[in-house]
Amino acid sequence: MKQDTAAKTMIIASCVYFGLALTMGILTALKFVVPTVGEIEYLSMPRVRMLHTNINLFGWLLQANMGILFWILPRILHTKLFSEKLGVAMGIVYNLAVLGGFAAIILGNVKNVEYGEIPPPFDYMIAICWVMFAVNVFGTVAIRKVKYLYVSVWYTLGAVIWTTFVYITGNMFSQMPMVAGVNQANLVWFYVHNAVGLIFTPLGVAIAYYLIPKQLDTPIYSHKLSMVGFWVISFVYVWTGAHHMIHGPQPHWLQTVSIIFSFSLIIPVMAVITNFFGTFATAPRGKRMLGPIPKLLMMGTVYYIFTCLQGPFQAIRSVNEITSKTDWVVGHAHMALFGAFSYYAMAGIYYVVPKLAGRRLYSEKMGNTHFWMMTLASIPFFAVLWIGGVIQGFAWLNPENTFVDTLAALKHAHWMRFTTGSIIFISYFLFLYNILQTLFGKYPEDAEPEAETVTAQ
Amino acid sequence: MKIDVEKSLLWTSVAAFGLFAIGAVLTTIVPPLVSPLMYKTDHDVHEYTEQEKRGIAIYKAEGCVYCHTQQVRNLASDRRRYGWRLVQAPSSESWEYVNDKEHFLGTKRTGPDLARVGGKYSSEWHWAHFKDPRNMGEKFPDRKGIYEKVSIMPKFDYLSDEEIKDLTAYIQTLGRNKNWRVDKDGNELNDYEK
Repeated sequence: MKQDTAAKTMIIASCVYFGLALTMGILTALKFVVPTVGEIEYLSMPRVRMLHTNINLFGWLLQANMGILFWILPRILHTKLFSEKLGVAMGIVYNLAVLGGFAAIILGNVKNVEYGEIPPPFDYMIAICWVMFAVNVFGTVAIRKVKYLYVSVWYTLGAVIWTTFVYITGNMFSQMPMVAGVNQANLVWFYVHNAVGLIFTPLGVAIAYYLIPKQLDTPIYSHKLSMVGFWVISFVYVWTGAHHMIHGPQPHWLQTVSIIFSFSLIIPVMAVITNFFGTFATAPRGKRMLGPIPKLLMMGTVYYIFTCLQGPFQAIRSVNEITSKTDWVVGHAHMALFGAFSYYAMAGIYYVVPKLAGRRLYSEKMGNTHFWMMTLASIPFFAVLWIGGVIQGFAWLNPENTFVDTLAALKHAHWMRFTTGSIIFISYFLFLYNILQTLFGKYPEDAEPEAETVTAQ
Repeated sequence: MKIDVEKSLLWTSVAAFGLFAIGAVLTTIVPPLVSPLMYKTDHDVHEYTEQEKRGIAIYKAEGCVYCHTQQVRNLASDRRRYGWRLVQAPSSESWEYVNDKEHFLGTKRTGPDLARVGGKYSSEWHWAHFKDPRNMGEKFPDRKGIYEKVSIMPKFDYLSDEEIKDLTAYIQTLGRNKNWRVDKDGNELNDYEK
């Protein structure tokens, strides 16, 4: 089978899902301001929200990350992908599972796991795909032609190992009949938090660790920092699940443990970020911000700092009292998954797709426009969610406010979220058009082709 | 023997798994062993009837949990807001949930918390509210426009009357493992439920 077929399939599919996920996001935001829009069973707000999160996580982000890594891993390890056929088979089964899952959600057949609503048998199919992905990753590392494993490879290996256990425990074991009540809640939050922390963080960071030095033509700033980042995150991330239930019915000691480890997360995150910024700072000036890729990587890193500083502080009991259960949390989740890791994934797609097509990107200029539109819209998008969340949190403190009063206070924030979200949605089409043109379109190629094959390295 | 972790697939994988496993075991398997109230209790906890179980399935399928939490947090503001007729709602405790095969603690409050909602409103009120949450008459007397100061909850008018009854039966059980709606002398404050 032709090299990189698996990467190509998954990247194209993920770009399409991205648009679908954004559509669902817009629809949810619209329902907050005009609740009578689309008032039918299959488009009721909770179902649209479940579709929004699941399409984003499984359809877009995870699939894009796996596709990009299918391309990156062989290049780092100077070999071919372990099995291209297995990769393509996985891509097909995965997309069937994901589509089946989405159909089930629309019909109201869901599992009671936030971020993992896709019901059986489709969730088991996703687990099988994950095993196929793991075989391919381990196989590719095993047949490598270089001695040392690069940071990106550690993170990918870590993600594959950790996620296997997180998914089994949180998404499958938690649904067994003997698991109930707060115990089940604990397992589910173990899944919810680590789905972000031990799937999307390591995969996103792995991609950034490859792209930043490669794109800027500069060695990584510090090898020691990359080791600190990886080994500390593999120890501390998993402890934090219970911080979703601070002040709640969870045992007090478990909450305290999760708060302490939420704070320890500052260590690996700062190590990674120092490393990324250090690489940017030592890169040749002319290359630092040339084209959409370094811009997306830079902005993704900035969002990564913000989201990872926000996390520990909102886990403090007194801060949590105000921010928890409000729109603030929504803003935090968006900045991690959209701001940081979707930006890395988009950078990865901008990098990989021209190489897959064997020619330069259709339009750098359009890429820049996409970046600026998306970034300038996403900053107020996150900001209104936090401001709205704080307003809501303080409004709840006053028993004179009825619940509807506290909701009415958010009206402007919700309109703003819908407006800025729409701009993000529009800028997505620039991204999609650029990618599809690069792959399938006809345009004059004045630059020399950038095809990069294994032997060329 | 010198182990060079960075050269070895095996050692990188084993070390990454080992470090992860410490935290994973201590936060998933150990908590119920240390704090058994997470899964069992000597208190009298309500066993759900068949009808209420059907209600739970509807609650899950309709995704109520994405806007309504089911936990009165251990905070004065929560206890006051979700109380009833000047009686403060007691904070939720882990033993109250031991019979919940599906937990609905939730992470986001777009609507009010439902942990102690059982018995606060009559079942007729719930029926009307599910049919059209924005047409609750006297409830919001100072509304200006149609989207001003009214609920933004979606209509659940596509549920059959039977389904709404099941769902209401479940909602009426919420928070009643603690008998908290009593006055100073311990007299029941229910008026329409007897």
